Amino acid sequence: MARYIVKRLAYMMLVFILLTFILFMLYQLMPANRAYTDAKNEIKTMKRLSEAEKETKFQELYLKYQRMYGTDTDNKLILYLRWLGVYPFYNGEYGGILQGEFGFSYDYNLPVVKVVPDHMRNTMIVSLVSELAILGVTIPLGIKCAVKKNTRFDRFTQFFTLIGFSTPHFIIYIVFIVFFCSILGWFPVMGVKTPGSNYTGWRNVLDVLHHVTLPTICLTFGSLASITRLTRASMIDALNLDCIRTARAKGLSEKVVIYSHAWRNALIPLVSIFVGGFFGLLGGAIILEQMFGFKGMGLLLLNATKNADYDMIMFLEVIYTFIMLFSNLVTDLCYGLVDPRVRISK
Amino acid sequence: MKEKENVFHILARWFVRWFFGPKYEEKWFWNKEKGGAPEKEENKKPDDSELIISPGRQIVQRFLERKFAVFSVIVVLIMFAVVFIAPHFMTKYYDAFTETTQKDLPPTLDFMNVPGELKDNIKSIDSYSSFTVGLSKDGKVYVWGIGSIGATGIDMKKIPEEVKNAKIAYVAAGTDHIIAIGEDGQFYGWGSNRFAQYDVNDVIRNNPNLEPVPDAVRNGELDVAHIKKVTCGFQASAILMDDGTLYIWGNKQAYANMDKLIGRTDIVDVDFTLSYVVALDRKQTSVYTGTKGLFGRVVSQIGEVNARKMSEYLDGRKINEVRATTTSVCLLLDDGTIALTGDFQSDSIPVPELEEGERFIDIEAGNYHYTGLTNLGHVYSFGGDHYRQAEAPTVNGAAKIYAGAFQSYAVDENGKLLNKWGLRGYLFGTDDRGANIAERVIAGGRVTMTVGAVAVIIEIIIGITIGLLAGFAGGWVDIFLMRVAEVFSSIPLIPFMLILTSLLAQVSLTTDERLYMIMVILGILGWPGFAYMTRAQVLVARESEYVTAAQAMGVKPSRIAFKHILPNIFSVLLVTMTLRFAASMQTETSLSFLGFGVNYPQPSWGNMLSRASNSVAALNFWWQWVFTSAIVVLTTVCINTIGDTLRDVMDPKSINDK
Repeated sequence: MARYIVKRLAYMMLVFILLTFILFMLYQLMPANRAYTDAKNEIKTMKRLSEAEKETKFQELYLKYQRMYGTDTDNKLILYLRWLGVYPFYNGEYGGILQGEFGFSYDYNLPVVKVVPDHMRNTMIVSLVSELAILGVTIPLGIKCAVKKNTRFDRFTQFFTLIGFSTPHFIIYIVFIVFFCSILGWFPVMGVKTPGSNYTGWRNVLDVLHHVTLPTICLTFGSLASITRLTRASMIDALNLDCIRTARAKGLSEKVVIYSHAWRNALIPLVSIFVGGFFGLLGGAIILEQMFGFKGMGLLLLNATKNADYDMIMFLEVIYTFIMLFSNLVTDLCYGLVDPRVRISK
Repeated sequence: MKEKENVFHILARWFVRWFFGPKYEEKWFWNKEKGGAPEKEENKKPDDSELIISPGRQIVQRFLERKFAVFSVIVVLIMFAVVFIAPHFMTKYYDAFTETTQKDLPPTLDFMNVPGELKDNIKSIDSYSSFTVGLSKDGKVYVWGIGSIGATGIDMKKIPEEVKNAKIAYVAAGTDHIIAIGEDGQFYGWGSNRFAQYDVNDVIRNNPNLEPVPDAVRNGELDVAHIKKVTCGFQASAILMDDGTLYIWGNKQAYANMDKLIGRTDIVDVDFTLSYVVALDRKQTSVYTGTKGLFGRVVSQIGEVNARKMSEYLDGRKINEVRATTTSVCLLLDDGTIALTGDFQSDSIPVPELEEGERFIDIEAGNYHYTGLTNLGHVYSFGGDHYRQAEAPTVNGAAKIYAGAFQSYAVDENGKLLNKWGLRGYLFGTDDRGANIAERVIAGGRVTMTVGAVAVIIEIIIGITIGLLAGFAGGWVDIFLMRVAEVFSSIPLIPFMLILTSLLAQVSLTTDERLYMIMVILGILGWPGFAYMTRAQVLVARESEYVTAAQAMGVKPSRIAFKHILPNIFSVLLVTMTLRFAASMQTETSLSFLGFGVNYPQPSWGNMLSRASNSVAALNFWWQWVFTSAIVVLTTVCINTIGDTLRDVMDPKSINDK
């Protein structure tokens, strides 16, 4: 198992480097030149210089900033290695992502690493809660549908999950917002807390809960249908296995057959969906966050894209890539947990 | 020697083998070459192949048993037909169409539904935007069309009680107000009063941009018998008396030249374009706007290049009537001919050729079109035709004509409605730019479905090629290709699309090029699924007898892959293809919704919904997302149903379930 993990980790690193290389090359196409902007800004503060002096001073400053930010070369590979943090800057120091230098957000006027954690926490909380809710609803529902296959209950659920699965998530969100916010007025539409309020303690918790409930419900609802369908399909396959017939022939109770024998078999293909689903929620809540004005990573990325805040975009893309790869790793590890065959063979 | 087959022949043969069985393939394809004679002999004695149903045929049979699946196929086919054929019949549609007076209108088709009681004794009909006001000969006012003005809560159909009780002599409708004058001279108005449309208060008096209703009008001092004309513009109104006195009031910001006409007593006729008041003074030789050179050159036909000076054109004739649409003015001269000035829409219908001895006796103007009445009782329409409002039917014996905003009504001498034509309304309402949502749904469906289909085709081509290569070649090729696929499937889709589309924004692309880029990006990011599936199927097929047999016969590997294995995994591919089609349509919709896919003015089912992300707009303008969403959901549900059913009926395991 340990060897397997190490192997997967090494492979993950490789893919990470490959993907960030692609991203970095795309990023290079963007018209961002931090050294140029900074030099221009600094020149503007110097008022007493003549035009010619300004020009020479500007060249000087530009070179200084280029060296500072490591953009004093056109060699893209060197730029990438510097960005990674394995190739020294002009002054011999290293300042890439390995050293924790992710860049600077012009929108927030802060290093990006300082901006992201707050947003990430918001997204994490909502994703985690809704993932728990999703699992809590879909697993029993999927199993019940599989066991009572082709009954009226199953057909009913199938019909609604088909609709839910075919509906783009944002349409579900629109319906929820119109129904719960505009018509019933139960929940506020925007933000994570009442604007201008400075609640503390219990009051604050309640306020945040009030704001976060509907996004969480929406997020949960968006994924219910597809996961229920997959659980059902997987469970039906598992119930058709020979070992289930044997278990029944042995005279085991139906409960034991379903929850112990069939479910464990059904879980194997579902692992990737559960784990992937959770990490997908982390990354895929962009539309939700935009519609609710919810300060999460998705909204951050959207705003950064709209305002051309390039360092922020790059950092978030790196995070998303990392999350994706990490989720693959966790999936593989979970396979090991769930399926004894994987443990033995690797 | 058999003739070399072309691609279509091969595909047709596959198809026949799949859905009808090898017997039919023989019958339809090979026997043609052999000649028809042996076929009859075969038909006489049934052989085994008739008793055993071919798998393809069985699949079709089992598919047809499922009613919902068949229904879905029909719905999807209809949807395809509508979306790809109907745009060719929407000749008036173009993407960037906007119309201010038709913004945010709910679905209705009764713009022209003249109330039954009014139909036989019409005195006048007028409209400027979505509602129409009519007056009967016994002085009753009727309002039809869409009465509610945006989200203001004003309902034009709520006629004030005093108006209902009074005998009304004149009515006129503006864009959001109606004015009426009783037979006793009493002045009434209802609707929006933000721009001093009908009432006076301190805010209006203190605002230099608003002209309040003249006191003479407001106090009911007008002599009704001598009123010549009551008319309304965008947010302004005018009353013209027989003696040339003009009362005019309303929003001066919309009508900058209003000041020059206030208090005039030498006016013969008056009307409103969108931004000017146009009037005719006693001399009756030019259009008075208070702005020199404006509407100074005239033509006799729409689209005529050589405009002539007014005095030159008139050549001693006088102007009898001035009628204005939003951008143009039509002049009725005293010899029954007309002259035109101003700008016309490109799709305008030209002025008709009249018969010998026929001349215009009246012209009425809508928002873009004109309707003219001749001395023979014929009615003609011309001018802007976007809503087909200038395509008049044949009308005989008309005595009066009325023009609504986009409608025309012909009435006989007793006030009986003879005919009406023009805009009936909108099945799905209009969007925030005044465009017809039903038309945009069709045009948007074409974009969304094309993007989905092309993206899937790209996915299939890349996915199948790589999957076949990996599965069939095996070894390091397999490992390498699967690692590449894994990298591609590790890319977080929506964030990556965001960065790509924001990159695309740096390059100036035409809307079509942008569309192609989106298709290609979706296709390139989506292929790994197909590759995995093809590879898995190939690995299974590689071990089967027919491939071993082919190998033993020395068939080339590439030929085995494409001619032996690919047709056999076709069924599984078909299922994945269907489901992926729905999925890429969903992705496109989501991206366009966020504003990173297809952009306005090009419609797509996604960007048509983007306004609904505002909760207030989503509630107030429910029709702007409900219909589009319903169609999106219906389409994807049907496509997914087809995919699911195909998978069920093709799966040999599920046969035992029944």
